[in-house]
This record gives sequence, structure tokens and C-alpha cells, in this order.
Amino acid sequence: MSDMNHHHTDQELEFKKSLRPQTSRDEKYWQSLEEYSKDPEFMKLAQTEFMSSPLSEDSKDESEGGWARREFLKLMGASLAMATASCVRRPVQKIVPYSKQPEEVTLGVPNYYTSTYFDGSEALGVLIKTREGRPLKLEGHSDHIITQGGTSARSQAAILSLYDPERLKGPRKNLFNEKRTNKDMVDTTWDKADAAISEQLKKGGVAILTGALASPATRSVVGEFCQAFKADHYSWEALAHDDVRAGQKAAYGEDLVPVYHFDRAKMIVSIDADFLGTWLTPVTFTKQFSKTRKDFSKMSRLVVFDSNYSLTGANADIRVRIKPSLQLDAVMGLLHELVVVQGKSSYAGNTQLKSNLASFASSAKKLGMEPELLKRIANDLWENRGQSLVVAGGLAASTAHSLSLQVAVNLLNSILENDGKTVEGTHGLAALKGSNEGLLELVKKMNKGEVKTLIIHRSNPIYGLTEKSGFAEALKKVEMVVCTSDRMDEVSQYAHYILPDNHALETWSDAEIAPGVYSLQQPTLRSMYDTRSVQLGLMTWAFLAKQGPQRLLAYETFYDYLRNFWKEEIFPKYGKGLSFDAFWDKALQEGYVGEEKNAGARGFKAESLTQIKNVKSLDEGYELVLYPTVQLGDGSQSNIAWLFELPDPITKITWDNYVSVSLATAQKLNVKDGSLMKLEVGEDSLELPVHVQPGLHDGVLAVAVGYGRMMGGEVGKGVGKNAYQLAQVVNGKVIHSGLPVKATVLKGTYKLAQTQQHHSMEGRQIIVEATLKDYEKKKEHLIHRHHTWNIWSGHQYNGNKWGMAIDLNSCTGCSACMVACQSENNIPAVGKKYVMQGREMHWIRVDRYFTGSPENAETVFQPVMCQHCDNAPCETVCPVLATVHTDDGLNAMVYNRCVGTRYCANNCPYKVRRFNWFNYAKLIEKPMHMALNPDVTVRVRGVMEKCTFCVHRISQAKDKARQEDRKLRDGDIKTACQTACPTDAIVFGDMNDPESKLSKRFKDERAYALLEEWHAAPAVRYMAKIRNNGQESKSAETHNKGEHA
Amino acid sequence: MQRRYFFSLFVGLVVTGLMSLVSLTGCKFQPGFGYNQGHAPEQPIPFDHSLHAGKQNIQCQYCHNQVERSKHSNIPALSTCMNCHMQVKTDSPHIQKMREAYDKGESIEWVRVHMLPDHARFNHAAHLKKGVNCQTCHGPVETMTKVYQYSDLSMGWCINCHRQPENKAPLNCTTCHY
Repeated sequence: MSDMNHHHTDQELEFKKSLRPQTSRDEKYWQSLEEYSKDPEFMKLAQTEFMSSPLSEDSKDESEGGWARREFLKLMGASLAMATASCVRRPVQKIVPYSKQPEEVTLGVPNYYTSTYFDGSEALGVLIKTREGRPLKLEGHSDHIITQGGTSARSQAAILSLYDPERLKGPRKNLFNEKRTNKDMVDTTWDKADAAISEQLKKGGVAILTGALASPATRSVVGEFCQAFKADHYSWEALAHDDVRAGQKAAYGEDLVPVYHFDRAKMIVSIDADFLGTWLTPVTFTKQFSKTRKDFSKMSRLVVFDSNYSLTGANADIRVRIKPSLQLDAVMGLLHELVVVQGKSSYAGNTQLKSNLASFASSAKKLGMEPELLKRIANDLWENRGQSLVVAGGLAASTAHSLSLQVAVNLLNSILENDGKTVEGTHGLAALKGSNEGLLELVKKMNKGEVKTLIIHRSNPIYGLTEKSGFAEALKKVEMVVCTSDRMDEVSQYAHYILPDNHALETWSDAEIAPGVYSLQQPTLRSMYDTRSVQLGLMTWAFLAKQGPQRLLAYETFYDYLRNFWKEEIFPKYGKGLSFDAFWDKALQEGYVGEEKNAGARGFKAESLTQIKNVKSLDEGYELVLYPTVQLGDGSQSNIAWLFELPDPITKITWDNYVSVSLATAQKLNVKDGSLMKLEVGEDSLELPVHVQPGLHDGVLAVAVGYGRMMGGEVGKGVGKNAYQLAQVVNGKVIHSGLPVKATVLKGTYKLAQTQQHHSMEGRQIIVEATLKDYEKKKEHLIHRHHTWNIWSGHQYNGNKWGMAIDLNSCTGCSACMVACQSENNIPAVGKKYVMQGREMHWIRVDRYFTGSPENAETVFQPVMCQHCDNAPCETVCPVLATVHTDDGLNAMVYNRCVGTRYCANNCPYKVRRFNWFNYAKLIEKPMHMALNPDVTVRVRGVMEKCTFCVHRISQAKDKARQEDRKLRDGDIKTACQTACPTDAIVFGDMNDPESKLSKRFKDERAYALLEEWHAAPAVRYMAKIRNNGQESKSAETHNKGEHA
Repeated sequence: MQRRYFFSLFVGLVVTGLMSLVSLTGCKFQPGFGYNQGHAPEQPIPFDHSLHAGKQNIQCQYCHNQVERSKHSNIPALSTCMNCHMQVKTDSPHIQKMREAYDKGESIEWVRVHMLPDHARFNHAAHLKKGVNCQTCHGPVETMTKVYQYSDLSMGWCINCHRQPENKAPLNCTTCHY
């Protein structure tokens, strides 16, 4: 019976499909290789429009998804019966007012607190939105001098780690046997733990291992604690910057990570430094970079030599695919062109440099680029000297030859007079002291038995460092291990005491965001559990042991210490003319104090040139590239579903890591997406699914780190593979990339959950892109304007008419908006299985299109959300008027009317409507429900949803204006995606106000509407992307010949 | 055609059946199906509005002090009650109960009278700003010894006011539902 039915519906589907008009496909933009190569399977899929057709719902799959439908009907039946059996009274609700009214809390009105969020690499100035004393969302702090309102996907997701149900609720103790083979955790008390630890500390041999510490006060506590117990402090991060620091030390004498000013650079060359995605302080860099792209008369140029397809590479004007062994060629090739060929700079006569550069005469050829292009890049650098910037770094540049690369980069910057201008190395980023070499030293000491007590704070080398570092084994030789993890993770399982630290939103601290700029971190709720800040822990142990400097012992809380620290260290510098209390309040109110320090150029040490060694590049075989992703970074946020479900900006794959191979490699090895491959590096091996990535070098196999956590939370447990284990330790140095790797194709396949293919926008003017030269030539004619006519009478918009403009030229694809939207609008993550069925719930997505040849593909990004059309196709098909037009131009979605026919989603040309297939809200485990925004309805099963233009924010802004007896001003309303965006790509406002920022953008010649020819009349405009590659495009036609009137 | 006729007949029968079922089981406190007009639950402390707001003439906003700033009208914190009741009528057992709770830092758990469904959002401050009286919706609270729900708080009741041209009130769905 059911089989027959199935058969019938399949036929029906085929029939319906045959009735559809055949669409021509755009040749220029393609979303994936299947599409490019017109794979018949893909073409079938593209015609189907939806990944999961309701008609072919798999009923055989009872074990997983099939039950849900059945169960749903059963439950529905039951509740209907109950409803008829007795008349229902609403449940009795209690109202529990405060006993004593806190002055600052107004029920239903959010409070915002300035604070700082540090993710292990970058400290961001943020505003924390709280409602009735509970933090709900992190917003960018637009008045902050450094980060200027930018946020990242990971900082937006931080709120979930606060309400993580798997956080430890109090101090724990491990009842180890002598060989430490067991793990029997029991609860303990702070007093008992403190007594035991302070006794143990007196024995000496103390070491502290921390992650990067952005907080000067915390660094001071750690320093004084080390003084008290003659302890050693080691700092380690999985994404440590040993290479940059070693290079700086060799070239300039100081072991530090310099500060880069991308806003001052007109010509930027990056060698594998993913500064827009994951390298050092990406949000700040993105902000700075975007500022140089807005004015086309002085637009900057970005050249990226990319081993992996990084986010920075995707935003490059000129991208050159390389493999790690060619990194040095890129820099030395440029140096050769400038110094040897053109005889520029004072180094032209340097014999050492000349002999260094001798073998790099044919770099361009090795790099597979036109010699002319290399020359052009070199000339651009020289012409913009003092205003150019060369950077190299990241895991992909953590190679055996990283010192050569870094010295060469420093030399290039010095020759170009960038040092002291775009590179500021006198002060450096004090937080980024994490070092693999330091950790290896610690391992040596532990093995020798010199470490009796080890305190580990926010550092997890057992996950993030190759096993061969020997850290796990060495840990067993330490008498007492104290760990401050907030959960059971890979490292805390080996600790004697696990003394959970407060969450960043629960504790006082501070941060040095840039040299000379300090921010405070305010707690926004009291500790949810029996936790204690690590700083207070150190202070307590010193106090109990009666050891240490006066300042460490004098205070009862870290808050007091912090205040005193600021009074002594920061107030004298920046508090002129103020009392300390006023200074402190000002710091809290404004979110920062101080200003960026600037310093002059440093002298390049010519003797460091001897450090530059030639690199042998393999002609055959593959080189390993490890890289962190925008969504997961180093992998420390392992229990946040939002981040796992956030598609990778480039590959659009969720919930997995994989090995990226180039098109030619895929053909050579006869693999395609989802094939399984075994990678062998030395003695280590890893089995991973394959992803065929356009624009990758043929000699590269790239794998993302940050996946494959085995402990640390149910969400991330076993998702992907731990690629850190492929890193090697060579001569006391941890090497992540450039290692020879053997690839073996395995039998079998593995399904990757990709969000891209069911977002095909077929053959129309979807992304408009032009080179700067094209744009200057034909400004008004950049966009094909369609002739449209209206069959509707149209709406009247007498008051406001809301609209949005998105500048594709600014958007870097960082995806912070997606997570911000998720956090703001209570959007669930659905899991890998349902992503594969095309049921992800993101209200805003970032589409990524590749252009050009697949070998050297370029990338464009396009955030797409509900376009709030005037002639909305969804509105006309709703049988119950659940989606209707408002008089201020919104396409309203009325959840309580929706009966779930999904006609609207079928009829939406932009595919932005999302359906609640299940009761996702019921899966929210306590206390995660506390992260839900009370201003936005939590949707139930069977209801359609989509972007609302943050209608609750509109109404809040209107209320506020009404309370203040004034009219709504332009800029009063900022949507969640807009506040999260680090590039100010998104502008929201009133189209009826001719002076609004939005109206000005609408009038811009780059502005166009998506699928204009359909005349759905969207309220969203996109601004064409401009690529400053110094060339005119070969085909003058920037717009394709799709079907239109 | 035939089929459709039978189907609608069937639906009609079911609906009538349901309605008679409701009337037979008797929901005396519910004048309209699903609405709570007249709902007057017992409160832990028999707070008398007719005494406070009526006889003593205390302004509504003295206790519900956030109503002009927020979408919610707050139930006053105990500290507000104790402003007066530290001195006034301290011998009453109810006041003593409050006092005890206050000293312990505990709260009184009041029973909610006016309940809107979760998908309907009402903004007190916006209505007050437009000059709507508390009594327009809440009725003569100053005469109530025990507060009851005066209006039925149905959507039709909301829309009725919003439709009056002189009120210039928005009629968008998103005004209340988002």
C-alpha cells in the first residue's frame, strides 16, 4: 500500500517538474563544482528546488526521522481528545515581584553594560544586553575606539556557553589511584581544596599554564603569584604565534606580536595570514580593512597568496593559490623584483641579501603566476611605501621554514618603510604570548620531575597539541594538577582538582585591547553556580600560604584587586583631572580608556638575513595545510550548536571537517565530495571525507582544526576529526603545515551537510560585480535595469517604509550576522541530518558564489534574508492570511495564524522562509532557555518563520521615541545583523526619509534589487561588489543573459 | 462534489458536538470560549484595591511605578508595600505575613489575573502615553475589593479601539504579534 503510494507521488513529482519552465543557468557564477560541470545528478537536484520534497518524505527511515511524523499525529490526536473532554482553564500563573526593588531594573526594558569579550586571541569591546538581570546578547560597542562595534560569529555565540547545561556546578576532586588510571570525580568544597592546594604550593616546583591573557590585572596576579611561589608562567594557545614572534625577534630584537594597522594600508599583501577570518585580531582588522574599501577614489588593494581557501583569500582583489613551500617564494620573489631587478631601496647593494635572493629569480614561474603580475604587485608595494603592508602567519604558515618567511616579510616591510606606520612593533599585543616552544619546555620540566604543582587555566594542550608533544604523559608525573576548566574536558580529566572558573559574563576583569587602550569587563549576572574566578583562587592560595607581595594578599576579592590595580597602573596615565572614582565610572560608561600608542620605525637587523634558508618544494606529492575556521576557531567553544551549524563561509559545509582537495587532485585521485581519504603524516594518520575545493593549489591537502573534540560537551563530541594530531614536533618546534602527506583513497562515502546547493538562484542578475576600472568607466551602466510593470495596485506607505541596503563590496562573508540573528531571534540549530535535508533555520544566510575558472576561482558573498517585497509573492498564496503586508512596508509573519501549508515558502523567489518541522524549542535544555530573547516569540512546530527586519527592535525604538516626545531618528533602529557586522555592510532605515543613510544608498548607482525583473519590489538593495585588481574584465558584459523581460 | 458535501456536513456535526459538550460540562467562569472575563482568583494576601486606590486615593502609578516606562505594568515589590506598612496597620496578620517575608528577603507569589497568550504583546507605556486610562481596560479597579478581569481581552476587543479613526492606532499584525 505504502509502496504504491510512494510510486504514485514520485510520478506526480515528475509530472509537475515537466510542467515547469526550463531555466537557463548562469555561466559566470556557479555555486559548486557539480553545478559547474553540470553533473546530471546535480541538475536534477537543482530542478527540484527543495532538498527535501514533502512528496517524497522517506517513510522507511523509521528509526530516526520517520517516527517524528507518526508521533506527531498521535500526540495531536491525544491533545484534541483532551481538549474536548473538559473545558480548559489556562494554567495558574504566579507573579513573583522583587522583595526589594533593584533600582536599575525596569521590567521589560533591557539594560546595556559595556564590557569586553576575549576569545583567546582578540578582545572585543562589547555591550551586553541584559533583561531583568540576565544577559541575553552581546552587541558590538560602536563607540569603542578599537573594535568600533564589530563582532565575530564566535563572540556572538558566547552567550550560549554561559547557559551551557554541561558547565561544572562546583569544585570537583579526582580520586586518583597511584597510577592515575581511574577517574573518580567527587564533589569537594572550596575550603578543602584551598587548604590542600596551599599546603602543596609550599613544597615549591610550581608552574602555571594559561591561555593568552588579555587582562593586565590578571597578568599582574599571575606575575605576583609566580613571585610568591617562585613559579614559572607558561602561556599556550592552540593557535600560538611562535612564528611571528620568532621573526620579530630575529629581525628587530623584540619577542612580540606587533600591531598591524590595515586602515593605513593602501596595498596589502598577505601570505596565508587570514587576517579577516582567524588571524590575531580579525574583527579589528576587518573593521580597518573595510574602511579602506569604501571610497573608490582611494580604494586599497589586497593581494593574497593562499595555501588554503581562506576568508581573506575570498576577499582578495588578486588571489594566488600556493602551497606552503611556496610561501617564501612569494615574498622573496617580490624582494627580488624590487631589490635586484629594479635596484630599489638601500638594500640594493647588500651582498648577503643578493645571495639570498639569487635563487628566487624565477619565483613567478614557480608560483604559477604571470611574471608581469608579480612585477605589478611589487611596483604597487613600492609606490605605496609607507602605506603598504605585508603580513604572513597563521597555522598554514606554521611550517619548518616559518622563520625564513617571517624574516623576509619583516625585511620587505622595512624596505617599504611600513615599519612604524602600518606595522607597530614597539609595543606589541601583550596578550598574545602563547607559545608552543614554551609548552614543550614545560613538558621537559615535568618529565624531569621539577614540576610538583601545575595550575592550568584556559589551556587545553591535550586536545590542541599533537600527542607527540608528550604533554599527557608528562602530566602524570606532576604531584598535583589543578585545573580551572568550566567543564570536564580533555585536560581537566587528568587534574586532581577541578576548580571551575567564572564565565566571562560573571566576573570582573579587564583587557588591554591594543597597546595603550584598556577596557573593563563587567559581570552581568552573579555566578550561576558555585564557581570562583581563577584570579581570586591564586590570591586565596597565596593568602593561605602567607607568601607573596603585599598587593596579592591584601584584597578579599578580585574586584578590589582590579580597582587597586587600575588606580596604581592605569589611572595615573589616563586619569588626568579626574578623581579615581570618576575615572573608573568613565571607563565603565565609555567602555575604554586611553588611546593607541604610536612609535617610530625600528632598525632591521641585517644579520637576520642569514636566517633565510631556501625551501625545497616537492614536485610530486602533497603538502598538508592545517587551518582554523571562522566558525570554530581553535575549537575551544566545543558545545555551541550555533557554531557547528554555521556553514563555513567558503565551503558552506556544516557539522564536519574534511580534507579539501583541488579539482585536478580530485580528478587524479578519482575522488569527489564525500569520498573517504586517509591522510598519513609521519606516523600519524586521519581518515576524512573529501571536499573538492575550487581555487586550491594542486599540491595541497587542507584540513580544518577545531573539530574532533572527544570531551567538552555533547554537542561537539565526535563531530569531525581532530586535525591537531597531524601536526609534528620537529627540533623543539611544532609544525602544522607544509608537511609531506600521503593520501590514500578509501572505500565508502560519507555525507557532508552542505547548505549551498539548495540555494541556487538560477541564471539571473544576482550578484553584480565589476573591477574598479570597469566601474569607473561605466558607472550608471553597471547594472542592467529591467523594464518592469505592475499588476498590483500597490501599497500606500504614508509613515515609515522600512528597507535595508547591503554593500556587497564591504561584506567579507564573516557570518557574524548569521549568529547574531540566531541569538536575537531564538533560532534553533537543527543538526546535521536536517541540514542535509535543507531544513536549517537561519533567517539570514550568506550565499557564496564562485566566479572565474574553477582552478583559480574568485569568490563573492551575498547575505540574503527576507526581502520584504512590496508585491510579496508569499502574501498572495497564504490561505489564512498569516503573512500580510504592513503599512510600514514589512512583510509580517503572524505565527498564530500560520497553519503550515508552506505555500509561501514555495512561492518565495528568494528561498528565505523557514519551516518548523519539529518542536525545536522543546529540545532546549535548561538553563539554555535563559538565552532566549523574551521580545521574540518562540515558534512551535508547524509554523513558518523568516526574517522580520527585527520588528521588535522597530517597536522598541518607536516606544522610546514616543516616551521622549520626539520623532524617530535615522539610526535609532539597528537590526541585529547590522550591529554585529564588522564592516558596516548592512544599513537599515526609512525609505520615506530622503535624508536617511538608507535612502542615499538606494540612490547609489551600485544599488540593485535581487531579481528585479520579477518585480516583487523588494525593500532590500544590494550594492555591487568592486574588485580592485587593476584590470578591466575581459568580457565587458558584467551581467548575464538570463531570462528576463 | 458529493464528497465535499459530506465532508462539510461531518465537520459541521463535529463542531456542533464540541460546542454542546462545552456548554454541558459548564464553564461558569468563562463567558466566552477561551476568554477569562470576570476571572478573579484568590490571592495569597487579600489586597483591597477599593481601600487603597478608592478610599485612600493612592495613585495607580504609586505602586505600579514602571508602567509609564515599560510595556509591562509591574506588580510592586514588597519594599513598596512596606513603605507604608512599616507603620500602618502593623497588627494585621496579613501585614505581619508580608513583614516576615520582607525580613527574610522573600517575595509574595501573587496569582496572575490578566493573562495574554504568549504571542500577543501589549505595551502599557505606549497606551498611557496616548492618554488611555487604566480604567478603560481594567475597569473600576478603585471599587474592586478583589481584582477581577474586567474586559475580555480578546483580539476583537483590542481591534475595536484600534479601528476608531480618532485613536490613530496601528492595525498591523506586527503591532501585537512578532
